[in-house]
Amino acid sequence: MFKDIIAKKKGQGPDFSRLKKVVVNEEQNEVKNAPEVPDNMWKKCNFCGKPILTEDVKKNLYRCPKCGGYFRVHAYRRVELLCDEGSFAEWDKEMPFENPLNFPGYKAKVEATQEKYKLNEAVISGECRINGAAAVLCICDGRFIMSSMGKNVGEKITRAIERATEKKLPIVIFCCSGGARMQEGIISLMQMAKTSEALKRHHDAGLLYISVLTNPTTGGVTASFAMLGDVILAEPKALIGFAGPRVIEQTIRQKLPEGFQSSEFLLKHGFVDMIVGREDQREVISRLIRLHDRELIKKSLSAFSKGEDLFGEAETDSVSKLSAWERVKLSRDAKRPSAKDYTDLIFDDFTELHGDRCYGDDGAIIGGLAFFKGMPVTVIVQQKGKNTKENIIRNFGMPLPEGYRKALRLMKEAGDFNRPIVCFVDTPGAYPGMESEERGQGEAIARCLYEMSGIKSPMVSLVIGEGGSGGALALAVANEVWMLENATYSILSPEGFASILYKDSKKAPEASEVMKITAADLKKLGVIEKIIKEDKPACKENLKDIAGLISRELADFFARYKDKSPEDIVDSRYERFRRF
Amino acid sequence: MFGKVLIANRGEIAVRIIRALREMGIRSVAVYSEADRDSLHVMLADEAICIGPAPSSESYLNMSAIISAAVALRAEAIHPGFGFLSENAKFADLCRQCNIKFIGPSPEIIDKMGNKSEARNTMVAAGVPVIPGTKEALYDAEKALMEAERIGFPVIIKASAGGGGRGMRVAESAEGFKEAFNAAQLEAEKGFGDNSMYIERYIKKPRHIEFQVMADPFGNVVHLGERDCSIQRRHQKVLEESPCDVIDDELRRKMGETAVKAAKAVGYENAGTIEFLLDEDKSFYFMEMNTRIQVEHPVTEFVSGVDLIKEQIRVAAGEKLSIKPEDVKIKGHAIECRINAENPEKNFRPCPGRVTDIHLPGGNGIRVDTHIYTDYMVPPNYDSMLMKLIVYGKDRKEAIAKMRSALGELVVEGIDTNVDFEYDIINSPAFESGDISTDFIPKYFPEYVKGSKGL
Repeated sequence: MFKDIIAKKKGQGPDFSRLKKVVVNEEQNEVKNAPEVPDNMWKKCNFCGKPILTEDVKKNLYRCPKCGGYFRVHAYRRVELLCDEGSFAEWDKEMPFENPLNFPGYKAKVEATQEKYKLNEAVISGECRINGAAAVLCICDGRFIMSSMGKNVGEKITRAIERATEKKLPIVIFCCSGGARMQEGIISLMQMAKTSEALKRHHDAGLLYISVLTNPTTGGVTASFAMLGDVILAEPKALIGFAGPRVIEQTIRQKLPEGFQSSEFLLKHGFVDMIVGREDQREVISRLIRLHDRELIKKSLSAFSKGEDLFGEAETDSVSKLSAWERVKLSRDAKRPSAKDYTDLIFDDFTELHGDRCYGDDGAIIGGLAFFKGMPVTVIVQQKGKNTKENIIRNFGMPLPEGYRKALRLMKEAGDFNRPIVCFVDTPGAYPGMESEERGQGEAIARCLYEMSGIKSPMVSLVIGEGGSGGALALAVANEVWMLENATYSILSPEGFASILYKDSKKAPEASEVMKITAADLKKLGVIEKIIKEDKPACKENLKDIAGLISRELADFFARYKDKSPEDIVDSRYERFRRF
Repeated sequence: MFGKVLIANRGEIAVRIIRALREMGIRSVAVYSEADRDSLHVMLADEAICIGPAPSSESYLNMSAIISAAVALRAEAIHPGFGFLSENAKFADLCRQCNIKFIGPSPEIIDKMGNKSEARNTMVAAGVPVIPGTKEALYDAEKALMEAERIGFPVIIKASAGGGGRGMRVAESAEGFKEAFNAAQLEAEKGFGDNSMYIERYIKKPRHIEFQVMADPFGNVVHLGERDCSIQRRHQKVLEESPCDVIDDELRRKMGETAVKAAKAVGYENAGTIEFLLDEDKSFYFMEMNTRIQVEHPVTEFVSGVDLIKEQIRVAAGEKLSIKPEDVKIKGHAIECRINAENPEKNFRPCPGRVTDIHLPGGNGIRVDTHIYTDYMVPPNYDSMLMKLIVYGKDRKEAIAKMRSALGELVVEGIDTNVDFEYDIINSPAFESGDISTDFIPKYFPEYVKGSKGL
């Protein structure tokens, strides 16, 4: 009843029927002054569907100003975004058309596409500078028959790789492709082998290849040069996969989940080192080139000179008087600084690289490249979380096999470039779970020990907290192993030891005394070279001081190793462990 | 002349523009958000088109929707009103690219005047006075004194990181300057951890005076006198009048010429406002230029007899100004009160809701610009201004008397308004005596600024 009254009362406003509308001569008007939206002024975002100004898209590095979605970038626009101005010198601008299968209509299609986009083929190649760093650059252009790979695409890329090898230059390839060029059939398939072979030679010449995956990278390109980068970068939310999503859905007769085959999916599954937004690409790529610069590594390593050795033999005696059990407890203390706390202070421009290129990306092991006093180094650490949320990501510092495989991949990469390696150990042990066994935890650790022995760059490992057994050793087959004063390093936990030998895990405190697991004991046993003093148990307050001591020790270490040949480095590591 | 014009605005200004268009025989197109379906501008326009949901960002600020509407309905020009896209250079540029005349200056000028430091530099170059001050941070009292002497006393010493009166001192002369500087610096250091200071000329009892200018595409510029907008609450104008009772013909000529010079210096076109701060000693300094029609334009219309909206449309259509500088005569006195849906008792909290009843004053020299009517629902999404009540009398005294009478008659029921607040101001002896400056409200109506520190 009331509702009706209110509804009636809710007026539509006064009645203006007397008011005369102005009538204009539309026809005359149209001829004279018709407004018109110029072509291409507005676009509709194909991610969020909102209208966007073309000009805004350009200013925003070809991303939607409303939702941030990444649009495809024309090859020459990428050159502008990436290269130092005027530095790009294009190669093979003209390639004669070939039609290996005499495919009907193919010539006309290619010619029409060439004319439409002013491109000779689906890829451009050349030499350029990126923030001053010289590199060979290939960029696929998705407008050209979906940047599919036919003979000319394969040829241009292969020639670029060969020239990079010849000129001893790094190569950067921006990948984008729907896959093989159907019109060229089996010849297209052969391009996969051709490009991969050329990359192998480039790699064997000790040169860097950075692959950048953009939307979409699929099919034969994914199964060849796209996935062969020493470093693989991806743009956010790009579609990356071998089989296209439609093919998979038709085969398995299921709908694929949201985000399947995205850059983020690949990162999680260990195939992409990092996702880099367009605004950071120039900086990240040029930094990666510097981090792989052999000359820079050699020069900066040789510049280290031996400083004051603050921690000689006397150090072992001057450590504080704490019981082994007290140190066990300290080494496990949640408030004890984690590896990242130290590395953030010790290294500059840390660039994290993810994934084992096999199964996943482990949160308990963080690896990447950084500068130490201007020298490129590979840094691999075991990371514990500071709270439950972090610990879920870090798995309480207990690595899975993919963590060790990532570490191994990064160490081998460092060895290939003679880049020194610094490892920080802090783990209760390798993760003892079902999935660990399924994916070969034992094999992963063994493979680390096996391969580390042959790595041709100086390597130092520092135990900062818990050095739990094989899980710790997998990052400690180094030329020198050091410990923080209150760290421990043992065959297993005192609890485990006690329950095996004394049939009572409560006897862990006693066990810890006899196990010889403290830094001082281990130095006496010759298991470690150095103890880094904690003036009081490591914590937030003295973190900076301890990081300073580690820095000084690292500088000394590099000074000791700068004149050693790769063979000497490998041999001395062999001898170090041969003693035991 | 245009055949059809789209109004990219809402509320009373949209109504004001639609009326002008109708009188000129130009067809009007209203745009509206989903929250404004029942708004008066929608009913009064010859055509109306919905451009999006209630939030301004998706409707009245939605450039693509507004341009699309103009193209679809073949409007040749867009009047942006004030607020929303009226000073958006990008929007003006899009209009131009789409062969739609933006009723206002060029995007380049909007851009230039929208950038404070660029506007200031342009004015300095054109010989327009700006408040003298230091450009670089000062740390040392000795050096600061030299600067102060260069600038001329009195000066105000301010902390670069300052605010809320802390780290601020006024020095009347060189004597005691160093002490004042050191005290302010100490406060700044303690308060903000930053001891960098700057000084500028101190303006005593400043009045906010703005000059209305109108320019056509042929380089003709006229000014239509000033408006005194000193009565402000937290930098929001409450009441405006024209002319200003402390500006005599000579000063008006001087300031007007400066305003015209400023407009000419940037090659201005269409309606614009040059804002000055006027010192007690009658020196004046450029503050900024507004490149749009302003809320308070009716007071100028009353005293100059020029219809500013129509003039804007004519000039935008490429016609010459209808008035020559020598024909401009400022006559009588006009006052405007802004009536808002807000509660002065509750710190001027906006009060949207249904207008259950309304009575509007009328009679000789009374003008009401509004979009509300009985049963109108004030949406919560936009500015709270409901109405402008403007009165015109032969002199200030008569105008005040009319405003008292008109405010007394004005009835808006169903929602809270600031009518009582305006009524208190217009009835105060301070207002009547003309003791007006930008701190009028905190000085005479401190009860209305409670809880609003740093006004």
